[in-house]
Amino acid sequence: MDTQETPLVIFTILAQLSVGAFVINGVLHVLAGRKNGQAKVDKLSDPALYAIGPIMIVALAISLAHLGDPLHAIYTCENFGRSWLSREIVFGVAFAVGAIIFSVAHAKKWFTPMLLQLLAGVTALFGLAFILSQGMIYVIPTIPGWDSWATPVSFFITTFLLGGLAVGVDFVVVTTIPSMRARHGGDTTPLLYQSLRWISASAMVLLGVQFVVEPTYALELSSKGGAAAQSANLLLFGGGSVFIVEMVLFFAGGAMVAFFLHMIRSGGPIAVAGVTGGGGATAVGLSQRAMVYAVGTAFVLVLASEVLGRMLFYTANVRIGF
Amino acid sequence: MAKQLGFFIDQNYCTGCKTCQVVCKDKNDLPVGVIWRRIAEWAGGSTNRYNGAVETTAFAYYTSISCNHCADPICIKVCPTTAIHKGDDGIVSIDDGLCVGCRLCEWACPYGAPQFDSARGVETKCNFCADFLAEGKEPACVAACPSRALEYGELSELQAKHGTINNVAPLPDPSITRPSLVIAPSRNAQPSGSTDGAVINPKELV
Repeated sequence: MDTQETPLVIFTILAQLSVGAFVINGVLHVLAGRKNGQAKVDKLSDPALYAIGPIMIVALAISLAHLGDPLHAIYTCENFGRSWLSREIVFGVAFAVGAIIFSVAHAKKWFTPMLLQLLAGVTALFGLAFILSQGMIYVIPTIPGWDSWATPVSFFITTFLLGGLAVGVDFVVVTTIPSMRARHGGDTTPLLYQSLRWISASAMVLLGVQFVVEPTYALELSSKGGAAAQSANLLLFGGGSVFIVEMVLFFAGGAMVAFFLHMIRSGGPIAVAGVTGGGGATAVGLSQRAMVYAVGTAFVLVLASEVLGRMLFYTANVRIGF
Repeated sequence: MAKQLGFFIDQNYCTGCKTCQVVCKDKNDLPVGVIWRRIAEWAGGSTNRYNGAVETTAFAYYTSISCNHCADPICIKVCPTTAIHKGDDGIVSIDDGLCVGCRLCEWACPYGAPQFDSARGVETKCNFCADFLAEGKEPACVAACPSRALEYGELSELQAKHGTINNVAPLPDPSITRPSLVIAPSRNAQPSGSTDGAVINPKELV
């Protein structure tokens, strides 16, 4: 399997995780904030929010390792009108700057709530434009393995899947680790469970879609012959059994999300007993710890699967002609 | 000045000797691993015995290809820095001072024209020997071809003289980039996209 594009694998996965976490965080604020008040949602989401900008900066820095002459990176926005790569870089930098300004402004309580919401909205749009551009870079008519709706679609699925699960991990960890509970806790239990239900339910849907999209597309490619069939061959067998491992991890991640969803739904009273004390006063119950392990494991399994999938994606770079 | 320069390749005369490739490397002082003009060998067919007689449909022909200075260059579309540009004479060239070495043009070009110079961290490609042209000389590859299989000139004139065929395997569908290329096809030539043959020297084309 081709490991030459490792910087791009790390860059795309981290950047998609960042954008996904920012957007999902925003959606949860809109949905859950109305019922519970923004302050309570903030308590759960702040740690994730503060991590998003720096992760995106790290992702962009890693992407420089892919370049032959990183000093010329300054020119990469020159072809914004025609090149999706230019657009990706412009929107990616705009998202990173927006996310950092938003998190600082949020922490320092700089702007009015309205202005902050506007900033968050614009930053989220930059993020979504970034993911679209990132996907469209690879929709090249000369590379059949990439030239498909499946490329941007799977990039968006990765974005929301990893972003959602990362926010889920943050919510559970914040309410479990005593020191963090003391700082961010309070009586956020109903909100926590409601948010986690939304996250895991949407993760299940996304996992299901991705589970269908990827093999379907590989099979579609394999029937076309030529460079397309070579791409399919590399996608399915290029890494030995990597594709199978990816699918197993993906399925296991899905099963863990389902288990987690089941825990939240059926284990409510026991789990709640662990956290109802709030403010760090009560010892964290077993169920709460189990929730951390469950959502954490789901995140790691899906992340590992996505990394393998992205490595195969770059391996399937076979162009027509010669 | 020409409006659109192009190359003509006569597959009936090309012997696959690679003189064009070697002289291009020499003239442009290209490092190991960077080949601006490459020669693909496309072959296929089979040989069978029938009642003691041997019958063969085996065939092979060569296609010498550098940058085709396309009318619709995909390299220019994907380049984020505008380092790749098309001149008034139709020559597509790369500005070293702008190239960031992202290699997207190399991935996208179906003729493998952009070649990455890892020592300098930038893409390089055939510039039609623009310096030779300015001196009134032929491009090095054209001048060196021992069987006179290569020609260059104004694309419309090459087309008037030799026709408009440029969709011969293993070349891609020309509608994608509209290459400034004319081919006199081998009698065994197969259309672009054909799977009845294969490039049998892939390692020479990397």
